Amino acid sequence: MSSTTATRNAIASRFEGLLGSACVVSEPASLERYAIEGSVPGAVLLPEDAEQIASALRIAGEERWPVVPFGGGTHQHIGRVAEDADVVLSTERMNTIAAYDPGDLTIALAAGATVAQARAACAQHRQLLPIEAGAGSTIGGAMAVAATGPLQCAFGGIREFCIGVTFVTGDGLPGRGGGRVVKNVAGYDLMKLMIGSHGSLGVITSANFKLFPMPPVTATFLCEFDSAAALFRFRDSLVKSPMSPLCAEVISPAAAEYLKESEPRDPDSWSPNGALAPQTPWLLALRFAASDRVLARLRHDLASFTSQEIRAHDENRFWGAVSQLEKHVLARHPNAMFFQVSLPISESAAMIEAAEASATNFNFVAGVVGRATVGSFTVVFLPLAIDPPAVTQFAGAASDFRSRLSRAASAVVVRCPREAKHHFDIWGSTPTDIELMRKIKRALDPYSILNRGRFFVE
Amino acid sequence: MSSDTPTAGAAGHDRHVLEMGESHFAGPDRPSWDLYATCVHCGLCLNHCPTYRALGMEMDSPRGRIYQVLQVDAGRLPIGDSFVTHIDRCLDCRACETACPSGVQYGHIVERARAQIEQHYKRPWPARLVRSIFFRHVLGNPVRVATTARLLRLYQRSGAQRLARASGLLRLLGMSEVEALQPTIDDHFFFDQIGKVFPAEGELRARVALHAGCIASVAFSALNHATIRVLTKNGVEVWVPPGQNCCGALQAHAGFREEARRLARENIAAMLDDRFDAIVTNAAGCGSTLKDYGDLLHEDARHERAEAFAGKVKDVTEFLQHLGLRQPTRTLNLKAAYQDPCHLAHGQRVRSEPRDLLRRIGLKLEEMPNADQCCGSAGSYNVTQNELSMKILDAKMKDIATTSAELIVTANVGCMLQLRAGMKRIGRLTPVKHVVEVLDECY
Amino acid sequence: MFSRSIPGKLRKIVGRDAVLDRPADLMLYEYDGSLARGAPQYVVFPQSTEQVSELVKFAAREGLSIVPRGAGTGLSGGSIARNGGIVLAFARMNRILEIDVPNLRATVQPGVVNLELSNALAPHGFYFAPDPSSQKACTIGGNVAENSGGPHTLAYGVTVNHVTGLEVVLPDGRIAQLGGNAGSAAGYDLTGFFVGSEGTLGIATAITVKITRLPESVATLLAIYDNVQNAAESVVALTSAGITPAAIEMLDGWTLRAVEASVHAGYPLDSAAVLLIEVEGLREMVEEHAEAIQALCRKSGAREVRVARDETERQLLWKGRKTAFGAIGRISHSYYVQDGVIPRTRIPETLAKIEEIGRKYSLTIGNIFHAGDGNLHPLILFDSRDADQTQRTLDAGREILEFCISVGGSITGEHGVGMEKQDLMCSLFTDSEREIMLRLRQCFNPNSLLNPEKMLPSPRLCREAVSPGHASLG
Ligand SMILES: Cc1cc2nc3c(=O)[nH]c(=O)nc-3n(C[C@H](O)[C@H](O)[C@H](O)COP(=O)(O)OP(=O)(O)OC[C@H]3O[C@@H](n4cnc5c(N)ncnc54)[C@H](O)[C@@H]3O)c2cc1C
Ligand SMILES: Cc1cc2nc3c(=O)[nH]c(=O)nc-3n(C[C@H](O)[C@H](O)[C@H](O)COP(=O)(O)OP(=O)(O)OC[C@H]3O[C@@H](n4cnc5c(N)ncnc54)[C@H](O)[C@@H]3O)c2cc1C
Ligand code: SF4
Ligand code: SF4
Repeated sequence: MSSTTATRNAIASRFEGLLGSACVVSEPASLERYAIEGSVPGAVLLPEDAEQIASALRIAGEERWPVVPFGGGTHQHIGRVAEDADVVLSTERMNTIAAYDPGDLTIALAAGATVAQARAACAQHRQLLPIEAGAGSTIGGAMAVAATGPLQCAFGGIREFCIGVTFVTGDGLPGRGGGRVVKNVAGYDLMKLMIGSHGSLGVITSANFKLFPMPPVTATFLCEFDSAAALFRFRDSLVKSPMSPLCAEVISPAAAEYLKESEPRDPDSWSPNGALAPQTPWLLALRFAASDRVLARLRHDLASFTSQEIRAHDENRFWGAVSQLEKHVLARHPNAMFFQVSLPISESAAMIEAAEASATNFNFVAGVVGRATVGSFTVVFLPLAIDPPAVTQFAGAASDFRSRLSRAASAVVVRCPREAKHHFDIWGSTPTDIELMRKIKRALDPYSILNRGRFFVE
Repeated sequence: MSSDTPTAGAAGHDRHVLEMGESHFAGPDRPSWDLYATCVHCGLCLNHCPTYRALGMEMDSPRGRIYQVLQVDAGRLPIGDSFVTHIDRCLDCRACETACPSGVQYGHIVERARAQIEQHYKRPWPARLVRSIFFRHVLGNPVRVATTARLLRLYQRSGAQRLARASGLLRLLGMSEVEALQPTIDDHFFFDQIGKVFPAEGELRARVALHAGCIASVAFSALNHATIRVLTKNGVEVWVPPGQNCCGALQAHAGFREEARRLARENIAAMLDDRFDAIVTNAAGCGSTLKDYGDLLHEDARHERAEAFAGKVKDVTEFLQHLGLRQPTRTLNLKAAYQDPCHLAHGQRVRSEPRDLLRRIGLKLEEMPNADQCCGSAGSYNVTQNELSMKILDAKMKDIATTSAELIVTANVGCMLQLRAGMKRIGRLTPVKHVVEVLDECY
Repeated sequence: MFSRSIPGKLRKIVGRDAVLDRPADLMLYEYDGSLARGAPQYVVFPQSTEQVSELVKFAAREGLSIVPRGAGTGLSGGSIARNGGIVLAFARMNRILEIDVPNLRATVQPGVVNLELSNALAPHGFYFAPDPSSQKACTIGGNVAENSGGPHTLAYGVTVNHVTGLEVVLPDGRIAQLGGNAGSAAGYDLTGFFVGSEGTLGIATAITVKITRLPESVATLLAIYDNVQNAAESVVALTSAGITPAAIEMLDGWTLRAVEASVHAGYPLDSAAVLLIEVEGLREMVEEHAEAIQALCRKSGAREVRVARDETERQLLWKGRKTAFGAIGRISHSYYVQDGVIPRTRIPETLAKIEEIGRKYSLTIGNIFHAGDGNLHPLILFDSRDADQTQRTLDAGREILEFCISVGGSITGEHGVGMEKQDLMCSLFTDSEREIMLRLRQCFNPNSLLNPEKMLPSPRLCREAVSPGHASLG
């Protein structure tokens, strides 16, 4: 379905005139790297600033060429199957740390700066930018997909600490929300609109964040439970206690397999109902930033639940493995299905039960990690190798799982085989305010060129 | 009667500079710019105002009332029905003063506004008649208070009460629900006791003048006796100086400031005496007015005597707590809740003393929510604004119901009656008592 | 007459005693906490979402604009009916609909007073974290509209960080559910976008918020300085030392003397500035942090650091801060509060600039502010009867905010743009940035019937506002 060479050349030359040939990639070999879920774009633009993005978008708009904003390219699969891209707008040349004011604990980053690069710069001043995203992923990309990780328990998602954003709308208007100061209510909060918009409303060109002091010392208490129900009962008392962990990550027995250094056991060898128990317990990893004195108190308070306390090197290795979980799972099961689940926290145990039941019914094994105190989980359905699922089985499992959840919960499929996406709605239930969302999309992307089809059926 | 149409301020007009036109205020007791302009219309008082909480409208909020005063002074709003309605509805509970960060002396503003209303506004004749008789001729005249009380007693006991209610006569006089709330008239008025001295028991610790109060003297003489007993048992010599009169609170609140001044002068003459360590009252409403004689008489030549008098006035709870109670002979092992009388908590900032006294005699105090919110009694308010008063009372009863108190205590007779009426309305039997009555049981 | 039938129809929707239409009553709705004025034609007190929806449909048919109003404590004229129309007052839509402790959520009607929610949560050991200094009066609907903050925003964030779901009535009368109980859901974050929209996108009729656990322990410190520079340095030292205090508030010398005169909070009269610092959390941590803060403040030049010994002392220190605006009210009949924000590293030079502006316009300016977030509240004292002084006040205010913009800051940190700072939006945002905001407003509020002429200036106003020194805040 990729563009023909002729149209490719036409597209490329339109932009070369505008941006100079150095900013336009058009040889097929180089384009491969920018394939979106397997489909190679017509041309890739490497703009150097917002102005170039604006002019490029104006042309694309005139021509109605679909455009895909592109960061690190690590998660181009999130969302529906987008229409084939004529143009990929990569932010890779916009990768500077525009301003960093350690005294003010704020940072301004170009969209193409990587999360890792930004975090490293902050770390030099013992400060923390609590965005969690995989290697290579960019600030723009992390914002576009509203990436979250275990630190969400303490810092919330990106929406809670992003203080400013600049972007260009689909019709090439430069826009801005917020600014560089940590408190600001002048104008509409466009940060909120851009975060999680999956590149459908504008191309993010820069973003500003407030930073946090890096906790000098941390320790992690690993608490083990016989069942998810027991774990969440403990969680209920935790949220009422005065303790405020940095992370409170649930790790299900199946997920725990992928944290180990040894090869994970093959799911096929697990019992059919997915239970690894009684050997492997449910794990709640509580990470605290605290001095020795405070740790002593926590150790005492948590004594009857803690099986192990890890610190320093072991602790870093543990959390590193947690952040690599998706990668480890994918290495083993390229066609695993990942859900991003949000729910009222009291429904956590029921959700896990639902995931296990649905997975079993459709020949998967369910693994769960997530933020126990926030109600934000990643649920993975691991296909059994002995009887690999047909594409319709993904759809069946997803809708079965969703049908078991309450109306307050949402389960978005953030990864599954591309072919499977045609058989169901990856977003799940339609938000009641979908009309408003469509209006907003039309207002900011009047020609509907940005990530066409990712978000809505257009 | 003047129309209520404000004279300026078209819709949507963005105005920053305040244009002061010709004031509608005139004569004595004008609310001055200096007094009301301390209000910066921040609104922090709104949720503390019982009438705003009940009605939810700016006109019946402290900020709104002050704004109306400003508008009358700026010539934009006449002293007409609308202004009078909203100023009348004010309980004068002064919860807004406690809430106000700007130090607005709301009580002084509203009393002056009412004085202006009395001077410039013609109420319908029945109300005018009743108000004039009551505030000018009955209150502040012990003989007439006694006579009226006797008539009322007769009326209460004769069955004429039912007749009057049926005839609608009372409603016409603006006194519709009065029966439900009025005090029952004592058999022996306290006026007999005026001029007497009650010696302290044991070592003499202090000497005080007791302000007996006018209504209290006919309806609550038992409470006055209890006050004397508690004081004397705690080593206080109690004088009830002759020549004292009604404190003037009801008159001042109603806008009869001239009447109030006359009474104030009489009381100062009768009771300001170096022999007394304090001038004590058991009525919060009287206390806050007695303590405010300085403002009432600020234009008098002998103004500093008024200040000196005011400085000596103490609520009985305040006085006893600072004196220190003697060991009680008995303690009460009950759960109790204390309702702050407005004129004690907001008017005099006396909050902890009554509570401390109650704890001292063994009561287990439970705080009800909004304990310092008015119960709706507010002097004669429950008579003149009955419907609103009952709405406020119902909210109060709800707050009381959230506690498990076996006894409700307050420190003002008006509140006590109102709360008793409230208990009746919800069909509960929990007793309501005055702090002094409870103390009296323990000595 | 036709217009006479409007109140009748309004009464049919909300009830007989829930509509005001007499000028003497409407006059009481021409103000809020700010300096702006403008009376509506009608004031209506809805009691349910359905009534709000009916009212909005009715207004749209009649071509009347609608202005929502909470408690009217706003400081930017947000609830002023600029061109008449209907004020929707939420004083009677003030029920707490649900307290859901297991899910750490509460759902309220918009007229619930901020502090009343916290009071209702206290028995469960929780509270509602956003704590504007007006919290005993302002409503949660107003907080949502203004995205209000407070002293404790430093650690807990502003209103938007605590709102997870909204029921809103759109200008066409449609009732929409934005977000929900869960933290995040699929689709655009319309909840986040709606918060802070100053009543220009829709009317919030039910609000779901996060509830926060009451801290186990609190320590409040007062650091006293002989010069403002050192106080400002302490702020930077603290924020970068790995301690996140729950609050860092600053009062300058002039203000603290004014406050002390009315409250007796124990602020030393001869100092140039004080910082009020609070840390919360686990007992042991609070003790350690309190010690570290003392050391850091001393190191950066504090003359003295006091620690509140008990709850009474703590309350007293806070009372001074919380009643500070009011204390100024005792000194001056009117004051104009600014709400500028600057990077925390620019505090000293900004304070110097404010002093200079005060001299230039011969005005007294006090400074009370949320130093931890660089959110300044310069208070300009004036007499509202004096036209010249009033104009100088507006000009000085404008100049302060322009300075904030020039150091990379903003014109409002929590009070909103409303009608008072509209023209400054022209200097803060470019034409295309404002055009985008306008397009977004039109998605919700196409005919601008809802809170018209607020926040976003018309392109015409911006063309006219380019010449500085002409503060026409209307
Ligand atoms: C809920 C969630 C949780 C996650 N948690 C983790 C985790 O714990 N650890 C971890 O390692 N990873 C995690 N990820 C994945 C990680 O966040 C992504 O890898 C990363 O954010 C994507 O960045 P990218 O630069 O590779 O963007 P890309 O993959 O290039 O793009 C992703 C999407 O963003 C759009 N986009 C990219 N740049 C822009 C721009 N400048 N403007 C507008 N749109 C743009 C693209 O069009 C595309 O739709 C998570 C993802 C999600 C959704
Ligand atoms: C002394 C004082 C101190 C203050 N301190 C602070 C502070 O520390 N931090 C702070 O942030 N603010 C502060 N403020 C400002 C003010 O209190 C806040 O902006 C508050 O949130 C306003 O709430 P309100 O209920 O009074 O709203 P209003 O003033 O009535 O309205 C404010 C805006 O909200 C809109 N609105 C109201 N209800 C709704 C609804 N249901 N749906 C949609 N829109 C609605 C109105 O149209 C208007 O635009 C202070 C004000 C004062 C007077
Ligand atoms: S009376 Fe006090 S609290 Fe009320 S609005 Fe005026 S200044 Fe504010
Ligand atoms: S005195 Fe009481 S009723 Fe009157 S305005 Fe003040 S708070 Fe309201």
